[in-house]
Amino acid sequence: MVELALPKNSKINEGKTWPKPDGATNIREFRIYRWSPDDDDNPRVDTYYVDMDDCGPMVLDALLWIKNRVDPTLTLRRSCREGICGSCAMNIDGTNTLACTKGMDEIDGGVKVYPLPHMPVVKDLVPDLTVPYAQLSSIEPWLKTVSPEPAKEWRQSHDDRTKLDGLYECILCFCCQTSCPSYWWNGDRYLGPAVLLQAYRWLIDSRDEATGERLDNLEDPFRLYRCHTIMNCTQACPKGLNPAKAIAEIKKMMVERRV
Amino acid sequence: MTDMRTPLGKVRGLGSAKDGTDTFWRQRLTAIANIPLLLFFVGLLVALNGAGYDEVRATLGNPFVTLVLILVLVSGLVHMRIGMKEIIEDYIHDEGVKIALVVLNTFFVFTIGAACVFALLKIAFGG
Amino acid sequence: MRQRPLSPHLQVYRLIPTMVMSIVHRITGAALYVGTLLVAWWLIAAATSESYFEFVNGLYGSWFGRLVLFGYTWALLHHMLGGLRHLVWDTGAAMDKHTATKLAWATIAGSITLTVLVWIAGYMARGG
Repeated sequence: MVELALPKNSKINEGKTWPKPDGATNIREFRIYRWSPDDDDNPRVDTYYVDMDDCGPMVLDALLWIKNRVDPTLTLRRSCREGICGSCAMNIDGTNTLACTKGMDEIDGGVKVYPLPHMPVVKDLVPDLTVPYAQLSSIEPWLKTVSPEPAKEWRQSHDDRTKLDGLYECILCFCCQTSCPSYWWNGDRYLGPAVLLQAYRWLIDSRDEATGERLDNLEDPFRLYRCHTIMNCTQACPKGLNPAKAIAEIKKMMVERRV
Repeated sequence: MTDMRTPLGKVRGLGSAKDGTDTFWRQRLTAIANIPLLLFFVGLLVALNGAGYDEVRATLGNPFVTLVLILVLVSGLVHMRIGMKEIIEDYIHDEGVKIALVVLNTFFVFTIGAACVFALLKIAFGG
Repeated sequence: MRQRPLSPHLQVYRLIPTMVMSIVHRITGAALYVGTLLVAWWLIAAATSESYFEFVNGLYGSWFGRLVLFGYTWALLHHMLGGLRHLVWDTGAAMDKHTATKLAWATIAGSITLTVLVWIAGYMARGG
């Protein structure tokens, strides 16, 4: 039976409340998930207060403000701080998104921050993404050809190139992947929205010559058909892409090749 | 036991079943059929609201009604058998329990179908 | 090394209309599954004898029976409208997130409206 509740070692306790910044008048409350592999405690939620007059507008600004001014042990991934690297994906205000592009003005009241859902936690806001990366490599996300390699390049018409729009922009942050209940319950067998969007990106690349094998590889009750069009993926994508539609297009190709 | 398989090895697992599209297609096919069929069924029940034994039997025994109701049952039951199988596959991870429930699901659907069709035919042929 | 905890999921994920309608679609589907027992019982009763039919029909006509049947009607119509939405999505249409959200609201509004209409029609057909 699927576990709708959290396992015993994952239940979340009330954590520490950190002091409010001295002299600040414009304060925002942050409730942040914490877990460290270095002690024996269960995960907890710590409360922090951020001086909004001393902090940038994005959630990532506030997290780094806390790390720099209050608690240097707070652990998170971040790199580009402009929505192109995908490192700072996390669950903010109940939705998966990038901390660097999520404005604090979009959130009412206190800001709740958790790691990407239903993943093993390495530390604090850092999830272990080993499985989704392995799933990505399983769909062989590169050009596969049989024809002799052309002297210069594999050519593609403008129209065919346009088909990759809305797909190539994926930054593999896995916001969609970990927003999907089907992926929560069957993440070991269901490839998930991010990986299926990538699969579709190669399925409709006019230069690729392995379309049939790619479809063979996906045609599976679990790998593909765990998608029940719940739409959490499309609602979550911080880049405005549409994984649910990509999956619907894959299903159409599956039907098309046998009707 | 420490699991030393590589993550990619686990993901590739037993490979693709090369299956699922038939089920997907059949679920859509029966969904489309169910729309007019079940609207007919709802309409029939609305018309029979408050009707007595003889009237109900006369209506159900009408050849057209019997025939459409059998189609309602076949399409509806095929659809719901697939739907329940999806639910079982989503939530039940123990292989033994899963297979047992998939079997029970089929038994349930066939029993309901046989009972309903038998009742309809009995009424239709005046038993 | 200590076993890593599982990050929270259902516990923290914000319920959004499309997700809720997906859950409701599943619940109504499961309810209809169980509800086929009611259909089977009624048909068997009609095929058995007048007294047994009157007994089952009487149960269905009681206030509790009517409540269950009202719920069953709603489950059926909701599942049907949700299914229509899925059929549209299966073509790849209406999948952008704002349209999807509107469709989710339309499903619930439509199913409640239709259910009430069906029952009004039922009562008008027989005057209660």
